[in-house]
Amino acid sequence: MNRRPGRAPRGSATAGAALSLVGAALVMTLLWMVWFWVPTEALQGVVQRIFYIHVPSAWVAFMAFGVVALCSAMYLWLRDERFDRAAVSAAEGGLIFTTIVLISGPLWGKVAWGAYWVWEPRLTLTLLLWFIYLGYFMVRNATENPERGKRFAAVVGIVGALDIPLIHVSVLWFRSQHPQPVVLRADGPSLDASMGLTLGVGFLAFTILFFGLMMLRYRVETLAHHAARLESP
Amino acid sequence: MSAWGRGVLAVARKDLVQEFRTFQRLATMGAFTVLVGVLFSFSFDPAAVRAQDVAGGLIWMTLVFAGVMGVGRTFALEAEDAAFQGVLLSPVPRDAIYLGKVIANVVIVSITVLLIVLAFGLFFQLDYGAHPIALALTLFSGVVGFVALATLFGAVSAGTRLGESLLPVLLFPLVVPMVVYGAGATHRLLLGRPLVEVEGNIRILGAFAIGAVAVGAVLFRHVVED
Repeated sequence: MNRRPGRAPRGSATAGAALSLVGAALVMTLLWMVWFWVPTEALQGVVQRIFYIHVPSAWVAFMAFGVVALCSAMYLWLRDERFDRAAVSAAEGGLIFTTIVLISGPLWGKVAWGAYWVWEPRLTLTLLLWFIYLGYFMVRNATENPERGKRFAAVVGIVGALDIPLIHVSVLWFRSQHPQPVVLRADGPSLDASMGLTLGVGFLAFTILFFGLMMLRYRVETLAHHAARLESP
Repeated sequence: MSAWGRGVLAVARKDLVQEFRTFQRLATMGAFTVLVGVLFSFSFDPAAVRAQDVAGGLIWMTLVFAGVMGVGRTFALEAEDAAFQGVLLSPVPRDAIYLGKVIANVVIVSITVLLIVLAFGLFFQLDYGAHPIALALTLFSGVVGFVALATLFGAVSAGTRLGESLLPVLLFPLVVPMVVYGAGATHRLLLGRPLVEVEGNIRILGAFAIGAVAVGAVLFRHVVED
């Protein structure tokens, strides 16, 4: 931390840019596969192609929250600014991917189930995850003292991550109490090989893109920190 | 008794004495509870919906709203005259302060829940006869879990510019499991279903309560640092 002020470390920027480029290229490949290569699903038709965007986004959204919780715990333990920067970078990426899930899910649902919103457990869980992310940022930006905001946000991140599995179990249980006439056949064993491959590319593309963007965001946070130090030596 | 245990009891006693001298929180929560019951009675058509079918949900939603009101006030009251700074300067460890506050809030919210149960029983002719012990256990374990999280995030909210208005935003997504299992169990007990059907729920609520208190006790020191 005792560098000459004005010179922020550059490592995360290069790696972030490289990863983001690879991720972006993979997303392009994914889009080509989704639109031109993968066969149309027999029962649901064209709308099922949202699946290749929707499911990998959900994976990244939840994985990101794991990263947030881990970095938050490390921050509270070691009080190293860098963990907080990593946590907030992951949280921003996670919020974006959670939003993608919440937009793509209902669009698909409208065609597949006939309603934009049903209280399907995974959809419900994702909505609650979105609100926990929201709380993370609200707390962070609502304190006079930035350091206090970072601590509060870390607490939200940790408790949220511990609670998410329990929320999931409870909404599943709630649904089993209230059977609905909707059968979601997302990932049965009947997945065609080409569909599996497309989905795999989706997972890879979004995961790499997420980490690339997270590193770039981390770099921005670092620069902001150094700029603040230059302003108030 | 250890110094730590005495610290817990001292904080709990301080909060309870403060409450029972003024009744500020209990009075507002109590009035709120009864008025919610009155408004609910006008909000659905008794000819179309039986009260027993919705009472479980009503009881838990009222618990959550009254609880947010009551627990949110805890730290706001102490923010006046920097009283909480005095508590932090005392030689009581942070986790003992947290547990003391949780105990006091559990007592206060439990009294409110008792009022909810009585008032709603009166208003909607609910039958608590079959398994009163199971119902009490369900509500009590729910209250402990709720208060544990509400106390932690009440301290967080009090430390922000938004104050108590932030508490529901932080708390409500996290108490979903409690409402699901609590309202589910209460609903069935009111319908006179056998105990076997709610045992699992009460166990989960108990586990949730223990987990929430443990997590709160560990994290509280990071919230009230400065």
